[in-house]
Amino acid sequence: MKKKKMLAMLLAGGQGSRLYSLTNNIAKPAVSFGGKYRIIDFGLSNCVNSGIDTVGILVQYKPLVLNRYVGTGESWDMDVPDGGVHILPPYAGKSGGEWYEGTADAIYHNIDFIDMYSPENVLILSGDHIYKMNYNLMLEEHVANNSDLTVSVIEVPWEEASRFGIMTADNEGNIVKFSEKPKEPDSNLASMGIYIFKWDTLRKALLEDHENKDSSHDFGNDIIPKLLAEGRKLTVYRFAGYWRDVGTVQSYYDSQMDLMDDVENIDVFTGDMKVFSNSNVFPPQYLGREANIRNSLVCNGCTVYGSIKHSILGSGSVVLDGTVIEDSIILPNAWVGRNCRITRAIINEGAVVEDNTVIGDAEGDIQVFGETKLSI
Amino acid sequence: MKTIGLISANYGSSEFGALLKDRSLASLPYGGRYRLIDFELSNMANAGITTVGVIAPTNSGSLVDHIGVGNPWSLARKKGGLFVMPGSIYGMQKSGSRFLMRDLLMCSNFFIKDDADFVIMSGSSDVCNMDYEPIIKAHAESGKPITMVYKKVPRGEEFHGYFLDIDENGKVNGINTESFGWSNYFADTFIINRKYMIDFMNWYRSLEYMDMIEIIKDNISTIDIGTFEFRGYLGKIKNPWEFLKVNQAMTDYDIRNEVFCNPERLIYTKAQDEAPVFHYPDADVRNSVISAGCRIEGRVENSVIFRSCHIAKGAVVRNSVIMMHGTIGEGAVLDNVIADKYVTINPGVKIYGGEREPVIIGKNQSI
Repeated sequence: MKKKKMLAMLLAGGQGSRLYSLTNNIAKPAVSFGGKYRIIDFGLSNCVNSGIDTVGILVQYKPLVLNRYVGTGESWDMDVPDGGVHILPPYAGKSGGEWYEGTADAIYHNIDFIDMYSPENVLILSGDHIYKMNYNLMLEEHVANNSDLTVSVIEVPWEEASRFGIMTADNEGNIVKFSEKPKEPDSNLASMGIYIFKWDTLRKALLEDHENKDSSHDFGNDIIPKLLAEGRKLTVYRFAGYWRDVGTVQSYYDSQMDLMDDVENIDVFTGDMKVFSNSNVFPPQYLGREANIRNSLVCNGCTVYGSIKHSILGSGSVVLDGTVIEDSIILPNAWVGRNCRITRAIINEGAVVEDNTVIGDAEGDIQVFGETKLSI
Repeated sequence: MKTIGLISANYGSSEFGALLKDRSLASLPYGGRYRLIDFELSNMANAGITTVGVIAPTNSGSLVDHIGVGNPWSLARKKGGLFVMPGSIYGMQKSGSRFLMRDLLMCSNFFIKDDADFVIMSGSSDVCNMDYEPIIKAHAESGKPITMVYKKVPRGEEFHGYFLDIDENGKVNGINTESFGWSNYFADTFIINRKYMIDFMNWYRSLEYMDMIEIIKDNISTIDIGTFEFRGYLGKIKNPWEFLKVNQAMTDYDIRNEVFCNPERLIYTKAQDEAPVFHYPDADVRNSVISAGCRIEGRVENSVIFRSCHIAKGAVVRNSVIMMHGTIGEGAVLDNVIADKYVTINPGVKIYGGEREPVIIGKNQSI
């Protein structure tokens, strides 16, 4: 086997509790996005578009849908003989088993996995961000700088900087300080949670961090400060482009609407850096005689007899006549009956909306309706 | 009882002009995202058949590109799987013969090396979601060497193909090429005992220029043939007008549910993974089928639009089929048109076909 320049480890174990009922039954990276995608598609597609063919996906919370969805990785062209996609759940050893206790701890428990491939560098990703990025460009900088760790950062407005993990860098891009959600930020470079480590550096740090009883075993809180204290070479990689954390219902809603409203920045339609998905086999959408669909995204398998304005209809969803849907997101396989009115709401995957139901209104928070119904 | 499948894709038709210039009927794009052969491949897959032979036409490029190693139909397997076998050059010359003896003899190994009890054989140009399991069961119970599948059709004179004379016991007494009124239309599908098939090929080896159904027809008194009635939707496509009609059938609620939305028997096809359809603020789509990746800014009515087409502002597409990557310019009007892949209609161009004679626009053309 050819030695791998870089292997990716995708952290997909989080619950995403601020998405409320959207993640009652499924892990956040498996939550539907943009009608036909799931959130993890963006990270996985970035990997394949960057020439990375080996990805470990660390799962923990409610992984059933995620496991099935990722499958052999075929949908992302990752079913290759000397690599591919590997689902990595917590497991038991001779002295028992443990849950992953932090982002770094999850990687620590899979040191053997990474050693099997013995890559030069390891890319750490979160499975819950929406962005298109060529990790190869970041790797080139990482190698050119001979860095132990390169952290991808994005400029955020100063007034929002205190909501992020902030990297302070000198003129050469060397990281001098990391502060998690600083009250008085001295930099507006937010960490995107995307790291490239030299594997031998990371390996050593993980082993040492594991022995540290005071550590929370987190990359931001523990590993980065530890490497800084050791005087290692840590640099920033400045990413300019669309990047969103979809941690809350509002941000989840907003970034899906961006697929229609901000196509220049997050374009899933044209061929460059295509976003791949493992979509089920649906016939093309059918729009009835009285259907009225304006300014919307509609997926394969949809059947629409009602009115849709500025909304997203997920694969296989049904909207009957007399119903008006506005500024809303109908997740896959949801069924909306007759004469309903849905405004600024999210209808959960596989949920059923009975006839004459009114959900949401023009003001207030985005409403989430129904429970995710798992089906194949 | 173990059953394997054989799909004949080595036939075309002289009636389709540019649409079949570089492809057989089997790989004619249909229904927004399918090729006609998807239906037979899916019917086989849905019956649990894991060994399928496909007799490929000489111009097999588009067919092989589409079916690949058979992944969508679970045919990329260690045991069994997909066998694409070259057909004879005569297939595409003799108009419409489904089961040419020459083709069958060329792939006789497919029958010989397997140990299956039955072979289900079919054409590759009908749109239907046919459950093969009860057919296999009925055939096994009948003990007959062959069971032919038919559909009762109201006006036989409008159909081209074979019609079965069936007696009160369901036995075929005769096969005709003409019919009037209610008729038993042969659905290009039959099941045959594998060993009988090997014998049949040996008996009639010298008639290699004939269609197998013709041979059966001429020897009907010596062969005990059973029948099975198919009651579902059978979209037969033998000319461009029927092609347009059967595409538009996808807008029929019952047909859509029966053929395409049966959760127990899905129709599988090669995945392309396009983005959702973007309906722009001025889009107006009525009673139509739109495939992923399209951008719709104009009007679409009673039409089927394949993936990644662009219908510009002010354009009107009516009663038409636009295959993948079509571009319909601003203010263009199409009515009763079948446009092959990568067609560009320039702004303002208006094309009207006849209701029974749609205008066909060949691949890559710009008008």
